[in-house]
Amino acid sequence: MVSKTEESQLQQLENQVENRGGGAWEYLSLVRKLKLRRSDKVLKHGLTILNDPKKRSALGPDEWTLYEQVAIAALDCQCLEVAKDCIKVLQKKFPDSKRVGRLEAMLLEAKGSWAEAEKAYSSLLEDNPLDQVISMRRVAMAKARGDILGAIEWLNKYLEIFMADHDAWRELAEIYVSLQMYKQAAFCYEELILSQPMIPLYHLAYADVIYTIGGLENLQTAKKYYASTIELTGGKNTRALFGICLCTSAIAQLTKGRNNEDKEISGLAAAALEKDYKQSSPSKLSLLSSTLRSLKIQ
Amino acid sequence: MSNGGELRYVIGQNAYIKLILHALKHKTSSVNGVLLGRLSGDVVEITESVPLFHCSQIGLLPPLEIALIMIEEYYSSQGLSIVGYFHANERFDDLELGTVAKNIADHIYRYFPQTAVLLLDNKKLGALRNKKDTAPVMQLYTRDSSRSWNVANRITTKEPSANILLLDFTSSEKWNDIVDFDDHLDDISKDWLNSELFK
Repeated sequence: MVSKTEESQLQQLENQVENRGGGAWEYLSLVRKLKLRRSDKVLKHGLTILNDPKKRSALGPDEWTLYEQVAIAALDCQCLEVAKDCIKVLQKKFPDSKRVGRLEAMLLEAKGSWAEAEKAYSSLLEDNPLDQVISMRRVAMAKARGDILGAIEWLNKYLEIFMADHDAWRELAEIYVSLQMYKQAAFCYEELILSQPMIPLYHLAYADVIYTIGGLENLQTAKKYYASTIELTGGKNTRALFGICLCTSAIAQLTKGRNNEDKEISGLAAAALEKDYKQSSPSKLSLLSSTLRSLKIQ
Repeated sequence: MSNGGELRYVIGQNAYIKLILHALKHKTSSVNGVLLGRLSGDVVEITESVPLFHCSQIGLLPPLEIALIMIEEYYSSQGLSIVGYFHANERFDDLELGTVAKNIADHIYRYFPQTAVLLLDNKKLGALRNKKDTAPVMQLYTRDSSRSWNVANRITTKEPSANILLLDFTSSEKWNDIVDFDDHLDDISKDWLNSELFK
């Protein structure tokens, strides 16, 4: 998860590097730190550094980190020859490394040699049963092969051991949503909210899922979580503001009328949206108003 | 009401290219979009498209409901209505119309029985560079009175040069300029109409 400041910092660096303004190493380091997937850019700019002996030696020991980063980016872009070359360099430098072994197995994955990759991961896990990254590769492989139920199974097994891995809970929730298993997705978000109650993203996602399941009680709950999202974001979350409007509208349809509390919060949400659109998106203000009208909020 | 047996579907190149650029911008996730147009005799003319979402929660209702209301409102003033749905799967070789796509398509079908559902065919898209082809790189599905969506072969691009233009845009990485509804909800100053895209 990336904050807005980190996102704009990344965007700035990315533009700078793309326009030959330098800062490639800072960009690559930021991508590494935030664990983002920018494989085509990482490949391009990482190779520029690696193919230049002066730039390479200026990195010192970080050179090997860059080889690893570029190898993974190359795998993602299906540039298998580049990946192979990077892995060879790392194999020479770190001959019995488990970390390099992991890259070799990922290369097998990228080639589509699933059975061999599975064997490689299993043997790596024998010596290292608590390696999170390798355990996750199993899930990724299942997903890549279209074996979604297998991915769910592996992911659940993973979470039994690494239950504090929030990204894994999110991944599982997203897989459940893609299969329309909303109750199971809701459970994942409940776990996340319990362990990190101050993160608005989880409240918002939970509200979206609960709204999608539907029914009066769920709409009431969704409304509460949209409200908590608004609180946690200081009123700045457009999706949550719309969420309030959708909930109060749907509740009114089911109960054949709008109670005063709902009238109040939907009025507040609508006003906040109008203020935001007036300021940042004035050409769409009238569209917003007619949308709110069709939800019977105005 | 015609069951779509004789209907042809024609998609304008701007609508067509926009959807594919959207898919190319978000290579690692599913994306979807709506098709706008009108029924004209025995042809469904798809003249516009709006890219919707790319986030992994593509199956959730709230953003979809807001998007559909806004899009219907905007385009009805131009005499256009929602005539179809576009979907691109997450995986390269997945050419199946999944349940999320079918559900959204079913919803649109209720309002427009001649709904076109277009699924991106990645292999065809990739092959464009080596093999000149004017056919759209999408699989068309239509629904008859049964509940199933069936593959149909009756879609063409309005302009025969659509794929050539698409290749042009691909090499200039034009997808960076595409804005979808997700982007708009994250930053309302972003224009989901993409009015400046082809200028």
